[in-house]
Amino acid sequence: MKKLKIGVHGLTSCYGCQLKMASLKLAENIEIVYWNMLSSKGEIGKVDVAFVEGSVSTGEDEEELKKIRENADILVAMGTCATHGGVQGVIFGEDYKKCFKEIYGDNNIEFDGRIGEPIKKYVKVDYNLPGCPPEEDEILYYLATFALGSYPEEKDYPVCAECRRNGYPCILIEKNKPCLGPLTVAGCKARCLKYGIECTGCRGPLPHNIAWFDSLARTFKERGMSKEFIKSKMEIFGKQYENMEELINKVFE
Amino acid sequence: MHENKGNVYSLYKCRVLRVYDLTDDVKLFLFRFEDPDIAEKWTFIPGQFVQLSLPGYGEVPISICSSPMRRGFFELCIKKAGRVTSKIFELKPGDFVGVRGPYGNGFPMQEFEGNDMLLIACGIGMAPLRSVFMYALDNRWKFGNITVINSAKYGKNLLFKKELEAMRDVAEAENIRIIQTVTRDPDWPGRIGRAQEHIRYANTRPDKSYVCLCGPPQAYHDIFTKLIEHGYNPKRIYVTLERRMKCGVGKCGHCIAGTSTFLKYICIDGPVFGYYDIISTPGLI
Amino acid sequence: MRYVKIYNEKMQEFLERLKNYGKLYAPVKISDKFYDRKEIDDVKKISFDCLRTIMPAKKFFIPPYEELFEIDIENADYKEKIEETEPFVLFGLHACEIVALRILDGVYLDEFPDIYYANRRKAGIIIGLSCLPDEYCFCNLTRTDFVDIGFELFLHELPDGYLIRVGSPKGHKIVDENPDLFSEVKKEDIDAFKMFEEKRQKLFKYYGSFDNIRYILELTMKDKIWDEEAEKCLGCGNCTMTCPTCRCYDVQDIPDIDGKHAKRIRFWDSCQFRSHGLVAGGHNFRPTKKDRFLNRYICKNAYFYPLGTSYCVGCGNCTYFCPANINFLENLIEIRRGINA
Repeated sequence: MKKLKIGVHGLTSCYGCQLKMASLKLAENIEIVYWNMLSSKGEIGKVDVAFVEGSVSTGEDEEELKKIRENADILVAMGTCATHGGVQGVIFGEDYKKCFKEIYGDNNIEFDGRIGEPIKKYVKVDYNLPGCPPEEDEILYYLATFALGSYPEEKDYPVCAECRRNGYPCILIEKNKPCLGPLTVAGCKARCLKYGIECTGCRGPLPHNIAWFDSLARTFKERGMSKEFIKSKMEIFGKQYENMEELINKVFE
Repeated sequence: MHENKGNVYSLYKCRVLRVYDLTDDVKLFLFRFEDPDIAEKWTFIPGQFVQLSLPGYGEVPISICSSPMRRGFFELCIKKAGRVTSKIFELKPGDFVGVRGPYGNGFPMQEFEGNDMLLIACGIGMAPLRSVFMYALDNRWKFGNITVINSAKYGKNLLFKKELEAMRDVAEAENIRIIQTVTRDPDWPGRIGRAQEHIRYANTRPDKSYVCLCGPPQAYHDIFTKLIEHGYNPKRIYVTLERRMKCGVGKCGHCIAGTSTFLKYICIDGPVFGYYDIISTPGLI
Repeated sequence: MRYVKIYNEKMQEFLERLKNYGKLYAPVKISDKFYDRKEIDDVKKISFDCLRTIMPAKKFFIPPYEELFEIDIENADYKEKIEETEPFVLFGLHACEIVALRILDGVYLDEFPDIYYANRRKAGIIIGLSCLPDEYCFCNLTRTDFVDIGFELFLHELPDGYLIRVGSPKGHKIVDENPDLFSEVKKEDIDAFKMFEEKRQKLFKYYGSFDNIRYILELTMKDKIWDEEAEKCLGCGNCTMTCPTCRCYDVQDIPDIDGKHAKRIRFWDSCQFRSHGLVAGGHNFRPTKKDRFLNRYICKNAYFYPLGTSYCVGCGNCTYFCPANINFLENLIEIRRGINA
């Protein structure tokens, strides 16, 4: 069997996704061409699949990402920073400038700092591997399908599906907790719900414009939550979702 | 033929015998069952489909496009569209796939006997209708006049174009008319226009005909109107529908369609439906 | 039908003895409000006032995740994963839940029987239990408030015990093998049974014939109520996952990392999810949230001809477990406005 050549890359991020991947036992049919976190050997070169963690938060990130794209047949956005901008994507516009100044002051900063954005804003992304970090079984599934010459089936249904399949109590109904399960892409087997902790949406909003921020905001509103509270919850991982604010505002008109 | 060791989801191993290119993104595959007993016994009705599996990739429903009279072999026409079909596209003679079926109701061929048959295909729709046509050729004495209208956007998209073209003149002598037409191809030397615009050239007698239709559902209503204008009996118009069946045996629910007075599993109640089913059931097409 | 009685004092022993017939599953409280059917060690933990479980009884016959085949990729060989199912006892199923299982039987045990389901169904022993409806129940409208078959034993609450209907040979066996637990039904038990039924019938919210709902639904599919209600919908799929008759599943091949083996799995799917209506080439038969929302109303209210009831058994689960407070029954009552039952 032909070996699958992969590259694993980290843009601005915590490297948690790569750490997760590094902890897995990969088979002999996978050849790591470049993985800077594990070895300083190697250069960004031709690969079958490039996994990219992190959001584009500097000019260097953008250059690196474009180079990765040019050299990869398939590019996978790995983790919520890469797919949705991540937590750092929450700081926008004027807020970003203020924040940047607060942290770095007037020092001469060598890098070109930017608002953290999902990598699809810069290059074509073939597949999304969501998660913060992604789940072991999903990383293995993605790798296995690529190695076979196939490709993964991306989930387009919410965490609620897995919560129900596992028989956990729905804490949104029962305890009025601001659970983002209905908006968030499944795959985590509703891990937090298992422990009675509401979903914070760490895997990012559902793809294909089916993250119904408006309907969930209405549900939260009916349960007595304020607009500010709802927004603060939803924007942690959803800030960069197209028209998120508009959808929430609609409910409070 | 549902004696799959007691498990309806079990697969029979089939070998690819030949592969033919039909268009840029459609190939025709000839298969044979590995088990000689199965190969001997296995048969189907034109219009039925099989569930075809590629190990590790998944399973897809595909209409059978050969005649059931050719025992031991069957042909599938596969368009490169998704995970499984893209991989099937790469298969070579000698490769294996898993097959179960046949499923679905198929066309009521016995009811058609003694009548004329008008087959109207748009695009990939020629696949299941070729099975009807081949069956009719193998049983020529059972049917009256036959017309096949094969249509596509461009000449290069016409399925079985060469096969149909090659038999055209001989067929005419046998009261079989073959009409191939394209809608958007300025370089096409033959007929131009949508399938329904060529119904008038058919050799079938409206009052003695059955009609089989397969193509994109959007086209159906307009074709119905034209057929009825030409005097074809709505009761004798049949269409075949498509869904992404996961089971093929009326369980998984992926092909449930219709409304609350006519809720059907396309895989077992169809895929062939009559004109009146279609017009009284929004959501079916 | 054979009728026997059991006194309250003997119920604990009865539940203990049920364990002789297989693993015992019964409703227990899993959180402040919710119940689920779990394996029972201590029979005192069984809840008798549980009206609905967050996972319907279908989970015992069509598990949420299931491996169908082990696949040897190189040899294109599919090895079926069918294991012998040990007998098990499901206690406390209400009439609607038993009808729901019979609907699943009609689908899964037709001319193409699903052997995975069939094996579990053969192993399952069903003990029914009477109930008093709450505001979500409407099994009286769907005519599923009483069952004649589909159970081994059915327990009807009496002031001092239960009147038991024996519904199958296995049920007779349980009664015959435990003569010390059961007594004869007396006149006052019959009176008490009638009183219970009377009380039960009075607790429903709506009355009348509901059979015409499927026509009315078709005629009102363009009404704006469906736009408004779909707008509220979260698309979370809770309604279908908690529905005792929703049975859609998806199938996937999951290859191993070594590329030599794979497994074919199936898992609960929902028509409320986008990918449910997709076909090859990318066309979606239910492209909008409203299409998907309405689809469930259509499908649930369609007739299941083998049983002569609709696919909906009136359990109220979809409303009870809807985080967006969408009320299935009230929506149907709304489109039916003008008909006084």
